[in-house]
Amino acid sequence: MSIHSINGCIGCEECIKSCPTDVIRLDPKTKKAVIKYVADCQICHLCRLYCPVDAIIIAPEKTIPVIVSWG
Amino acid sequence: MQIHPKKIVIINALLIFIALPALLFALGNAPARSLLKDSLSLLTVLAFSFMLQQLFLTRNFKGIQAYYKLSQLSNIHKYIGYFVVTVFLFHPVLLVMPRFFEAGVKPLDALITLLTTFQSLGVVLGLIAWGLMLLLGMTAIFRYKLVQKLGIKYKAWRLFHGALSVLFISIASWHAIELGRHVDTLMASFIMVFAVSGAVLLVKQYVLTTEKRTGVTS
Amino acid sequence: MSNPEDNHGLSRRQFLGLTGGVAGMAALVSMGIPPGWADNTTAVDLQKRADKAYETDVLVIGGGMAGLFAAVKAHDAGAKVMMISKGRLGASGQTPFAKGMFAYDEKTAKMSLDEFTAAVSRSALGTNNPVYTRQMAEHSQARVNELKEWGFFDSVLYNKPFSKPITERNIPLIERVMITHLIKENGKIAGAAGFSLDAEQVITFHAKSVILCTGAGGFKPNGFPICDLTHDGTVMAYHIGAKVTGKEWNDGHPGQADNAAACFDGWHGMFERKPDVTGVEIRHDLGVDLNYIAYINGNPLEGGPPPELMRKNKVKGGPYKPEGFDHSSPPPGGEAGLAGGPPPRGEEPPRHGPPPGGEGGLPPGMSQTPVGGSSAGMAIHKSEGLVPINDQCESTIPGLYAAGDALGSYMAGAIYTQIGSSLTGSAVQGAIAAQAAARYCQNTPMPTLSAATLSTIKAEILAPLKRKAGYGPAWVTQTLQGVMIPNFVLYIKKESMLKAALAYIEELRDHHMPMLRAADMHELRLAHETANMIISAEMKLKASLMRTESRCSHYRLDYPELDNQNWQAWINIHKDAEGNMQLEKQPFGSWPTQA
Repeated sequence: MSIHSINGCIGCEECIKSCPTDVIRLDPKTKKAVIKYVADCQICHLCRLYCPVDAIIIAPEKTIPVIVSWG
Repeated sequence: MQIHPKKIVIINALLIFIALPALLFALGNAPARSLLKDSLSLLTVLAFSFMLQQLFLTRNFKGIQAYYKLSQLSNIHKYIGYFVVTVFLFHPVLLVMPRFFEAGVKPLDALITLLTTFQSLGVVLGLIAWGLMLLLGMTAIFRYKLVQKLGIKYKAWRLFHGALSVLFISIASWHAIELGRHVDTLMASFIMVFAVSGAVLLVKQYVLTTEKRTGVTS
Repeated sequence: MSNPEDNHGLSRRQFLGLTGGVAGMAALVSMGIPPGWADNTTAVDLQKRADKAYETDVLVIGGGMAGLFAAVKAHDAGAKVMMISKGRLGASGQTPFAKGMFAYDEKTAKMSLDEFTAAVSRSALGTNNPVYTRQMAEHSQARVNELKEWGFFDSVLYNKPFSKPITERNIPLIERVMITHLIKENGKIAGAAGFSLDAEQVITFHAKSVILCTGAGGFKPNGFPICDLTHDGTVMAYHIGAKVTGKEWNDGHPGQADNAAACFDGWHGMFERKPDVTGVEIRHDLGVDLNYIAYINGNPLEGGPPPELMRKNKVKGGPYKPEGFDHSSPPPGGEAGLAGGPPPRGEEPPRHGPPPGGEGGLPPGMSQTPVGGSSAGMAIHKSEGLVPINDQCESTIPGLYAAGDALGSYMAGAIYTQIGSSLTGSAVQGAIAAQAAARYCQNTPMPTLSAATLSTIKAEILAPLKRKAGYGPAWVTQTLQGVMIPNFVLYIKKESMLKAALAYIEELRDHHMPMLRAADMHELRLAHETANMIISAEMKLKASLMRTESRCSHYRLDYPELDNQNWQAWINIHKDAEGNMQLEKQPFGSWPTQA
């Protein structure tokens, strides 16, 4: 399901800044990153690669139907 | 067959401070990662559990003194201390170490980000705990010199060591509960139970001894 | 341990079945797709906005490779520069995924610059603009050297090497702001406006000159990391009257059948590599050959590079390849050569991953079943975008420049001709545009901004947040994808189908675009992106209808031949005084006639 979980987040916001499609936001209460707009995840893994504590797990499935030209 | 009570103590300790946290680690819902990363996580969890155990490996815990000499106890306490301090001394580095072997942010850059995220309560607590641990370790290793130089009683040092330990473990526990990848409700309860009971034991002991000295014991 | 696969296992059929009823709506919401028409549950208090305004000489929009050089070189040329990006510097658009960078090295190159340019022109069937082809090669080594100094080639992630020259020069950088409007006053550029993703805030920039480094775009396709690129620069420039070009061309990258949307997985480790430098090697790659085979034969199961594919799949006809460019074997250096060097730590080279820069070479995933349209909605790099009026990246609007994929420079032509040249072209054009913009600023007073223009623009920006009810942007996007992405619409074109699709898109333009709703700043971004995709889709269909021939990456089933008599020309698109979309030809090798 695209970006799947954030575990062990330290709230540095690297993933939030690095997500090209604005999927992740900071929870104002816990001050940790949360997956807020999962349908927009393009499964590029930039968030995971930028995370200093490797907190992000990503699965290859998209949460919304995938439209292709032929297949 | 009768099991020697000493063995029972060891078995209990192993069960409570190794098997239990390892079980909680395995049952937790943190997603599985690479062998290296999961091994480092488990090492950290066990070191944390051993750190909690230190609260009980003291002269204050009467339950254990029936079977072990104080010198034996002191030795175990010392070596576990070395282990725990070593693991947590490198804890921030161990967190970013796997990045040496994979793509992504460079380990040093990750470490800098990690150590400068001051807006995070968990990170600040971790930095404080790390500092306290350093202080705790240094004052423990050089305790005789310290006692000599400052001209204080060894008991005073012991009181200082106990008080600093309680402070350190409280902050470290808070840090772990705040940030720990593998600290879910069960693991947090485990930490709370042993941190609180260990601290209570210590405080109780010092309060009682103080009361005895002032002669207000009922 | 939780299982990533245990949710959202909804098949497309179930999904389509669900979209009808109320239960379907609930299911969609649970999957993260808001329903089509619904009340707007906005939580944004527009009264409490603290809007911001900035003033600068040169405003650089976009934080990729072109934006980096545009900002640095404009600063070095003495202009006051500001940089603004929808995402993060070096971590948004296509730049973070481009791993090969072409450099023309005089000492080692086996051909002269002129020979290189002529060879590209032959492969591109005249569609390239040789001035920009030559310029790219000529300046490539200088840009590569600068990037080396900044540590670019030592890093998998580009934010840090990109930040180095920007922070050294104290260039103000604002990230996570989407620019939606360019502002024109008295016929000249006067600034830009947009909104913050993080605060309820409209941001306006008053500038003498603007350089669009906004990249290309697509229809948020599955399999290519371009879901943040929706031709924003092209569309906002079009709205203020700029000429844009190249909308009929297609990037023909296929994806892989398993988890087609997972571009990280589909690119087989490419995103985890450090960039490297590629040398001269001219090709004719990644047009729509595979799309044609799939159209004729069904899914092309037989693997191999396109000409072999044609033979194995016994397909006749299809896109024409110029002689000498019908590669039947992998390029020199083998497959690893595509990647421009051995992968790090001695791993197996990515066997068929898309090559660096997203161009050239073998399609990815050919070892498994391919699927089409992974980059749907995107043309060949540098073939679409603003029409330049000279070799200085200057657009048809005074003071407005564009560089990289935002500029329709036809640097490579309408087909991929040189591996790694896309990233290099962005760097080179960023620097060229910057110097031209800085010069322009020296002789230009700060334009005046009228309060009336600003208030109209602010109202347009915020409109989706203010609607009491409306169409969800995600739903409209999906509708657009369903219309545009099929092989028989976007790639294997014919008049009847293009007209049918155009009817749908015009419907979206007239009756959905004005009724897009947004509940928060993220959805506001989606709403504006959706609107940009609708305009871009209209352009693509109209340009495809107009070009009654087949050439490079444009293929018409009803006009399969090259038509050199009528079509040695590019198609330029602009908005006329009445607001209608106008298309016109511009002969190859010429600059546009200025009004």
